[in-house]
Amino acid sequence: MTTRTHAGLIASLAGLAAAWIAFDLLVWGYGESPRALLSMLFAGTWGTPYGAAQVLYKATPLLCTGVAVDLALRAGLFNIGAEGQLAVAGLAVGAVGASLPARMPAPLAIPLLVAVAMIAGAAWAAPPALLRARLGVHEVISTIMMNRVGEAFVAFALASGLAVKGTVRTADLPACARVPRLEAMVGAFRGSAASFAVLIAVACAFAIPWAFARTRVLREVALVGMNPLACAAERMPVARRLMQAMLLSGAIAGLSSTATVLGYKGHFESGLGAGAGFGGIAVAMLGRGSAVGLIASALLFGTLEQGGLAINAHVPMEAMQILEGVIIVAVALADSRVRESLARAIPRVKATRAKAGGA
Amino acid sequence: MPALEVHEVDKRFGAVHAVRRASLAFERGRIHAVVGENGAGKSTLLRIAAGLLAPDRGETRIEGVRLAPHTPAEAIACGVAMVQQHFALVDVLTALENVVLGREPRGRWGAIDLAGARAKASLVAKELGAVIAWDARVSSLGIGDRQRVEIARALYRDARVVILDEPTAVLTPGEASALYATLRRLADAGRAVVVVTHKLDEVRDFADVATVMRRGAIVETRDVKRTDADVHALANAIMGKESAKESGFDSGAPIARAIRDPRETREPVLVLRDVHVGRAVRGVSFEVRAGEVVGVAGVEGNGQRELVRAIAGLMPIDRGSITPSPDAVAVVHEDRHHEGLVLDAPVRDNVLLGELRWFARFGLLNRRAMNREAKARSVRAQGPSDVTIVARTLSGGNQQKLVVGRAIARVEPPMQTGPARARALVVAHPTRGVDLAASRVIHHEILAAASTGAAVLVVSADLNELRALSDRILVLARGQVSAALEADASDEEIGRAMLAGHEAAPDEAHA
Repeated sequence: MTTRTHAGLIASLAGLAAAWIAFDLLVWGYGESPRALLSMLFAGTWGTPYGAAQVLYKATPLLCTGVAVDLALRAGLFNIGAEGQLAVAGLAVGAVGASLPARMPAPLAIPLLVAVAMIAGAAWAAPPALLRARLGVHEVISTIMMNRVGEAFVAFALASGLAVKGTVRTADLPACARVPRLEAMVGAFRGSAASFAVLIAVACAFAIPWAFARTRVLREVALVGMNPLACAAERMPVARRLMQAMLLSGAIAGLSSTATVLGYKGHFESGLGAGAGFGGIAVAMLGRGSAVGLIASALLFGTLEQGGLAINAHVPMEAMQILEGVIIVAVALADSRVRESLARAIPRVKATRAKAGGA
Repeated sequence: MPALEVHEVDKRFGAVHAVRRASLAFERGRIHAVVGENGAGKSTLLRIAAGLLAPDRGETRIEGVRLAPHTPAEAIACGVAMVQQHFALVDVLTALENVVLGREPRGRWGAIDLAGARAKASLVAKELGAVIAWDARVSSLGIGDRQRVEIARALYRDARVVILDEPTAVLTPGEASALYATLRRLADAGRAVVVVTHKLDEVRDFADVATVMRRGAIVETRDVKRTDADVHALANAIMGKESAKESGFDSGAPIARAIRDPRETREPVLVLRDVHVGRAVRGVSFEVRAGEVVGVAGVEGNGQRELVRAIAGLMPIDRGSITPSPDAVAVVHEDRHHEGLVLDAPVRDNVLLGELRWFARFGLLNRRAMNREAKARSVRAQGPSDVTIVARTLSGGNQQKLVVGRAIARVEPPMQTGPARARALVVAHPTRGVDLAASRVIHHEILAAASTGAAVLVVSADLNELRALSDRILVLARGQVSAALEADASDEEIGRAMLAGHEAAPDEAHA
């Protein structure tokens, strides 16, 4: 396993190096000084307490989806559907939260909404999970489909009564249902959207690797992820484990909405949190299955997102998305797990590889 | 001047020093056997010789010329071809298409000149002294035929050196002697033939020269005399003197059957009644009693795989009945890499694969108990005592011990934690590709399991192994039991039963 971790570290470093080069090239292409922009980027993020808190805010949903994607990868599943799962979870949290009585105690309301987020995320992951476990339909294809269906479903639900009339947002949640902002405790964070949802995300990042080592279900999920045939031969419930992994992945992706709906906006609106689902893939690729790795890479991508705003006057903030893309591609190319998963999706690739490797 | 020579070759894989400064020459006109235990470096050395692998140091010389082939294509161009243990054929193409693949003769407009290819291929077949169904898809061919296609491909490419990695591991005794007859023709025609093998009786009967490797180094190279004493000397060289004496190896003689007394009066445990599985298994009935070992012989592909998978519950049966249920049967599948081990998981998780529930309370695993139990079982099967290492890093022999040990643990009285005891043990090819020392451990374990009252079914292509282990031998031919014989039945008797039904309809032989 150590060689795997080594390979992972190298892949992560390769991604970062590629991103650095891309950043320099881009900035240079715009006729700006890479060094000046880098310090500007830093000043806008970690340079001030507000900037740092904003990075935390941006990193929170990314960490949830990153943990979710990583969990699925360990089961040998490539969950590309976090985007849809978090959208539907956001809608569910917004709708249920808005209907809560204003005088409900927060210690009751918040756990309830956390549960709603997880259930909704899992529900959106259920069709791909079932299709994969029962019929062998590849989850890459079905989760991509579910993203589109989710987008349409959210729009449809908002349009048909869940939204406040004339808007694409749900009604405001009562104060008891809001996750407190960090500024309530640290004055210097004033104005930032960062909330205690970050603790939920960090707890997940530590709990899942722990559970892979210590709980029977996730340990078996990992074994199934490494060799389903051998597990089936020893009469392990392979299909059930795959399904459980996908559902749990969806549930954790759904937790993203605690940062966006409960911590930041106080309501759900169309497009809130969008992008974190795909960002989570990058976080998982770079984070490589360890709590610390996932947190660090979520912070990195959070920094890029926030930094994009800081340098927007000189280089369009989309430049940061290019960097994210470069990292994802570079790391994915270096990551055998993804190559294997894609090889299953595209049997021809596998056949060619088997021929080349079987010699 | 030797046809092929490796000089001072050295190769490491990470911490493993696979080949240590090995020098070896292969002469034209001779069959050269390379023997040694699993992990002795035989395959690595020959892959280097064949240009499939680059050495860290040293060089390869072909007819005295130093060559550094870095790709298989370059090696082929130099006249060296290797037939791997797992054939590299394209299943969906015909035998002829496979043979010409990559070297298709071109006709006008660049079209493939199949007629020309066929002409050359039939010359090759003639040299091989074999009949090859050129237009049959490889997927429809049996193992022996596929191997002939592989060899034909090497000749088609004008290979002057043909290297075969454990060519007889998957063949029946009859097929093996046919193969060696073919190899002798190749040698007589002036080619150098190199064979990697575990089977010393083959070396005695067919090879001209034998090289022994141990721990990556070449121990000795000697001319082969066709005597048992010579085989003993080879066994000594392979294992180091002490362990050879202890193993009691004498070219396939039965090992300690006396450690167990057959109890034929006991009740039947594993009972099959008129079992049908697709077209592969067609009405098989037999019983295995408690404490009894029943061997299943037969040419590969006559329903053995499907039979084992059906008993294991991995394949539905179309008709008939099997008792007990799959949960009460411990099974060792033939393909341990795919169906036996999670290679990237620790030994511990592999030893306890499928049994984690016995170590969980409220869903939480007791890791100390897991380590203790896994270590106890691994040591008992003479496997590694460090159960936290990844299974992939084990040698083939240790991997096999792990898989067999796991199954045997299930038929023994339960330890403190564990599932209900399985009453039947089914082992497919218990020692395929395993060295002598590991084979002995595995055989011993299987017999010990029977002596504690398990009903044991052993499927093997190795008649010596079946005789050594079994009380009775069933012969499977075309999905049916063609004979039920005593363990001391002669080769001829078993061979005749293996061919039952094949002569009648040769065109369907591999259906």
